[in-house]
Amino acid sequence: MLSTSLPTRPAGTRRNLTVDIARTDAGARRAFQVEIVEPAVILDVLLAAQRLEPSLAFRYSCRVAMCGTCAVRVDGRPTLACQTRVPGTDGPLRLEPIAGLPIVKDLVVDMAPFWAAWRRTEPWFVARADKQVVLAEGDPSRVAIERGLDCIACAACWAGCDLTGTETGFLGPAALNRAMVLTADRRDGRRDERLAVVSQSGSLERCHYIHGCSAACPKDLDPARAIRQLRRWRLRGRV
Amino acid sequence: MDASECARFETDVAIIGTGGAGLMCALHAKRRDPSIKVAIVSKGAVGRSGCTRMVQGGFNAALGPDDSIDAHFRDTVEGGHYLNDQELAWNLVCRAPEMIEELEASFGCLFDRERDGRLRLKPFGGQTHDRTVHRGDQTGLEIMGRLRDQLLRWNVLELEYWRALDLVFDNHGELSGLTILDTVSGLPALLLARAVVVATGGSATVYRISATAREKTGDGVAMCFRAGLELRDMEMLQFHPTGLVAGRSVLTGSVLEEGLRGAGAQLFNAQGERFMERYDSLRLERSTRDVVARASYTEIVEGRGTPAGGVLLDISHIGADEIARRFGGMLERTRLIGSDLTTGPVEVSPTAHFHMGGVVIDADCSTTIAGLFVAGEDAGGAHGANRLGGNGVAESVVFGARAGETAGEAVSDRAHYQPSEELVQDSLARTYAALHRELGVAPSCLSDRLKDVMWEHCGLVRTRDGLVRAKEELTSVALESSSIAVGGAKEMNPAWQEALDLANQLTVARLVVESALLREESRGAHYRSDFPNRDDESWLRSVIVQTADLGESILTRTRPVALTRLAPTGSRVAGYE
Repeated sequence: MLSTSLPTRPAGTRRNLTVDIARTDAGARRAFQVEIVEPAVILDVLLAAQRLEPSLAFRYSCRVAMCGTCAVRVDGRPTLACQTRVPGTDGPLRLEPIAGLPIVKDLVVDMAPFWAAWRRTEPWFVARADKQVVLAEGDPSRVAIERGLDCIACAACWAGCDLTGTETGFLGPAALNRAMVLTADRRDGRRDERLAVVSQSGSLERCHYIHGCSAACPKDLDPARAIRQLRRWRLRGRV
Repeated sequence: MDASECARFETDVAIIGTGGAGLMCALHAKRRDPSIKVAIVSKGAVGRSGCTRMVQGGFNAALGPDDSIDAHFRDTVEGGHYLNDQELAWNLVCRAPEMIEELEASFGCLFDRERDGRLRLKPFGGQTHDRTVHRGDQTGLEIMGRLRDQLLRWNVLELEYWRALDLVFDNHGELSGLTILDTVSGLPALLLARAVVVATGGSATVYRISATAREKTGDGVAMCFRAGLELRDMEMLQFHPTGLVAGRSVLTGSVLEEGLRGAGAQLFNAQGERFMERYDSLRLERSTRDVVARASYTEIVEGRGTPAGGVLLDISHIGADEIARRFGGMLERTRLIGSDLTTGPVEVSPTAHFHMGGVVIDADCSTTIAGLFVAGEDAGGAHGANRLGGNGVAESVVFGARAGETAGEAVSDRAHYQPSEELVQDSLARTYAALHRELGVAPSCLSDRLKDVMWEHCGLVRTRDGLVRAKEELTSVALESSSIAVGGAKEMNPAWQEALDLANQLTVARLVVESALLREESRGAHYRSDFPNRDDESWLRSVIVQTADLGESILTRTRPVALTRLAPTGSRVAGYE
């Protein structure tokens, strides 16, 4: 996780931090000096800046990496504002909206393209007619599902992928990861149909495994691996 | 903003809130009859705001080999100190097992299972059996992710980032629907509905240290109060014992899950004493939340806490691998702020968590207003004076589903009613006042004052003097709030939205204080140091609050708890099988 890879300063440390925040209004203030006290995360910086400039827009809800609404770019890298410690470096911190999605205001993006792609994979579970399958601990189907579970749909992977912003029809890492989860599930009654939908989108060939998605995931998921898995299933002609 | 130029949406069922209760409600209304038109309104992201998604622990259902509905019921009522609406509690425990079945078999939730295929049930505080169904410590995420995906199957009008303002009625008092505000464009609309379901979640954000998602500002309860519904047990607000201590960071107050204590985590004060021995020598850290939270609070205020104002939670003795396997999310959470569950103790403090109080409902989620239903944390009574860990998501799912069925049924013989222009106008005028005012106070200052006074004087230990001071301070904050000016444009204006949150937070805070003043005893989450004992003689009663003038004044009274199934002696009520 990004949060643990950056150098930080010890608890109680107080300092003034210079921040440059991307704004949509041309005349709006971008440069902020905020006082932070360690431990501090990027969300603390944003809240402090908002006290100085109440019109500054960004989203968050849960503070604990569950809601997936606070993804932003910190010095160019997509990450969750609530899970990223303020780096210990002195230089100005650069905060921008995540890439690849239309900007609504300041750091707020329109998630509609992300959800449209997600929906195209038909991500809803449909029980098999017999409903008898139980996935015990250690069941290979469970192991495969769990590899892709706990996605919070924050779109950090969408932002970390160089195809999502440009390629039409590419469903993006998160949607494909979700499709893998459902396709791996022996309890689900529409695995082949879903695999067909995903295959027909052409997404499985388009991915060229730069792994930007997996590098960006704040939950340590590996969407690139999920895409490879879907491709293997497609080539084999069955799950 | 003129009511006549306001956009209109028309639907059969309007659901406010998209946590567990809201989404279950939508799915069950659709499942009952796919032709029913459903609209969901959420001031946050659909399916990604509110607290169900944050549930780490799990979902209580009597599914273990030696467990029973009866045992789950007894634990719930005893844990609730007999203040529960026993019919709500009974419905909760009866329907919990079938909901687990539905979440798994119909919606695809993957809960942890043993090697032999049985559901893995974990022990939780205050419970006689292991009955908490879970998926690691990400149970809520698993449930909400699956419900969100199911919702994509259906044609549902999603009013995402729209704030619900007020319930509106026609000139004869028939419910018409509600006024809503698009927080992005800043424009209002009318949502006309045959049935409205309020499922916005609680109001723990009225406290300085709180665990919940930011949306939980009591919107639903305040809205129902203004509409004249009875609210009960508003003084019963639960503090979770183990909130993270992270200095001034917004992360302070986020919860370290109850399962840690179930798995053997121990609490120590700064002197290294395992203090729970003095408060509950039998159950120790696995005692109920109210007991553990107040014990920690007492240690802290009596000077035995850490310099940062916490106590120490230690689970390192179960081993790093075990912690990483079972509590990976919690481990990440502590490492983020520079501490580590695997290597030693972590500082924790009680944190405001869950409102047991809320709107008086029947077991089918109906209220005294035809066409109006309430589900989840906005409703009061299921948990009494204290909620058991694992019963929260169970309540949201059980009663969300129930509300969907009841509302789905109600729309077949309920018409649309045209709202009174005056009510709509009044709702919009109040909404836009802070935006149109040129000069005035900023909402964040008043919000801070509100949270501080609630924490200091209406928190884990209350006194008459403190509550009177809280009441005075809230009156003063309320007075000043009528001169809030937010400035800026109507489009995506965070300060304006904060001001609208504050209005509801103030309403709820006043009701909590008023109810706490009246209850001169200690029970569950409500502890009065001037009346430190539970008094079943006088206080097997609920405090009821209501208004007749859109919330200006508060009418209080008390009502005896109907002990329909279980009496405080632990014996069954005659005639109950």
